[in-house]
Amino acid sequence: MAIVKRPRIISIICIALVLGCLVSFFYLFAPSIKKLGGLIPAVLGLIITLQFVSVIGLWHMKRWGVQLFLISYFIRFITFYLLGILSTYQSVAAVFMTFYIIVFLVHYRKMDINL
Amino acid sequence: MVITLLKESIHFAWQSLVGNKLRTFLSLIGITIGIFLIITVFTVVDSLERNIRDSVQSLGENVVFVMKWPWTFGPDYPWWKYMNRPQPQYFEMTDIKRKTASAEAVAFRIGVRKTIKQKNNVVENAIVAGCSYEYGTIKNFDLEEGRYFTEVEADGGYKVAILGKSIAEGLFPNNEPPIGKIIKIAGYNTKVIGVFKREGESMLGNTMDNQVLIPFNYIRLLMDVKSENYEPFIAVKAKPGVTNAQLKDELTGVMRGIRRLKPAVEDDFALNETNLLSKNFDSLFDLVGIAGAIIGGFSILVGGFGIANIMFVSVRERTNIIGIQKSLGAKNYFILAQFLFESVFLSLIGGIIGLLMIFLLSLFASSAMDMQISLTQSNVVLGLTISIIIGIISGFIPAYGASQMDPVEAIRSN
Repeated sequence: MAIVKRPRIISIICIALVLGCLVSFFYLFAPSIKKLGGLIPAVLGLIITLQFVSVIGLWHMKRWGVQLFLISYFIRFITFYLLGILSTYQSVAAVFMTFYIIVFLVHYRKMDINL
Repeated sequence: MVITLLKESIHFAWQSLVGNKLRTFLSLIGITIGIFLIITVFTVVDSLERNIRDSVQSLGENVVFVMKWPWTFGPDYPWWKYMNRPQPQYFEMTDIKRKTASAEAVAFRIGVRKTIKQKNNVVENAIVAGCSYEYGTIKNFDLEEGRYFTEVEADGGYKVAILGKSIAEGLFPNNEPPIGKIIKIAGYNTKVIGVFKREGESMLGNTMDNQVLIPFNYIRLLMDVKSENYEPFIAVKAKPGVTNAQLKDELTGVMRGIRRLKPAVEDDFALNETNLLSKNFDSLFDLVGIAGAIIGGFSILVGGFGIANIMFVSVRERTNIIGIQKSLGAKNYFILAQFLFESVFLSLIGGIIGLLMIFLLSLFASSAMDMQISLTQSNVVLGLTISIIIGIISGFIPAYGASQMDPVEAIRSN
């Protein structure tokens, strides 16, 4: 199994995503989120977990990291859309996420196919 | 395959947890405290919110109260102006009733503290509230036994009373049926015609448990109803389809007309709404919720680090077992799932202990405080979900590290 060298841009994105996960984790307990309904914090928690696990995959330059990141991104977008909480902040985040996805796809072929 | 994986993972996790009891306890305690803190705050806030909602509902949701003082104040409110305002009067209630088209019911209420007696049983300082007939239409009364006043009793000032539960228990301590009995309110013989259901403690302080309700035309005998020393109010209920804003607009015009206020003169009355109160409490609860979330969030995070630490130790201790498993054909995902399951299991136990502690605490608090504090289903789901999330997040890196080990090097390590 050949070790793939991780590009610096992916390292930076991974660190940014981990920080994002940390902020989102505290956001889970916000009264505004709790008011949305009983199971919503649980669903958002699942999205954060998926994103965190995908970051570990990306750090190790694994293709499943990119795939999981895409899944978590779409689940997140659909959930936020259905809940009607697509704020300006979310739109800015969406721009960044799209940029991250482009970077990941550019380096996708170099990534390891195994777990 | 999945069941085998699950069974083996549970077995490994259990062995590891039972084999290192002190370590397990120390790593669990972080998650337990975190879940305990955060879900306790949510449980208390939910219970208080429910209490307020019920109190507001019992006051009537589409009701406007004409009073001397507003319920909410800004930072620089001119209290000296409010001080000089007149108290609402009974005749104003009858005028409002006549002139307000959007009002379904209008009632006047005034209260005074009096001593109540029944034979040798005395309740001192009880709140005796006198109200006009339509108060029963506006406020959602829940009677345990008996009935509300008839219109004739209310208008005629009959000496009849409806007792709050605590008052009834104080006057009739031996479970004697109070209906039809004669009690003395400030020396006047009064017939008991009803008893309210127990309401318990109310955040707004409007519980009927320690009140006695009598007709307004009867309370005139017990007090000077025109005195400025009491806090009477006129309650106006909107007709179906009329919003509180529309009712307030009409009431402002009617009240200004009744008090003959010139156009340039400010209102000398306040129109209070129950939703103003609940909005004020909402912002307070949001603040408490945020503080609880930050404290609890950090505790859970620290607990997560504890679990991650234990998992790294666990992986290190079992490195050669991992090597043997891999050399016998175990796949990477099998090793990953084993350790991940262990950390989720550990975290979940911590969360369950935290939730159990809250459940016991809520039972104790409910019995001690005369207020229902209950751990809701959504908070239990939230607590368990957070535990699972923390288990996955803190266990994934060590578990992934274990799954990536080279079998030869893993067997060699000791």
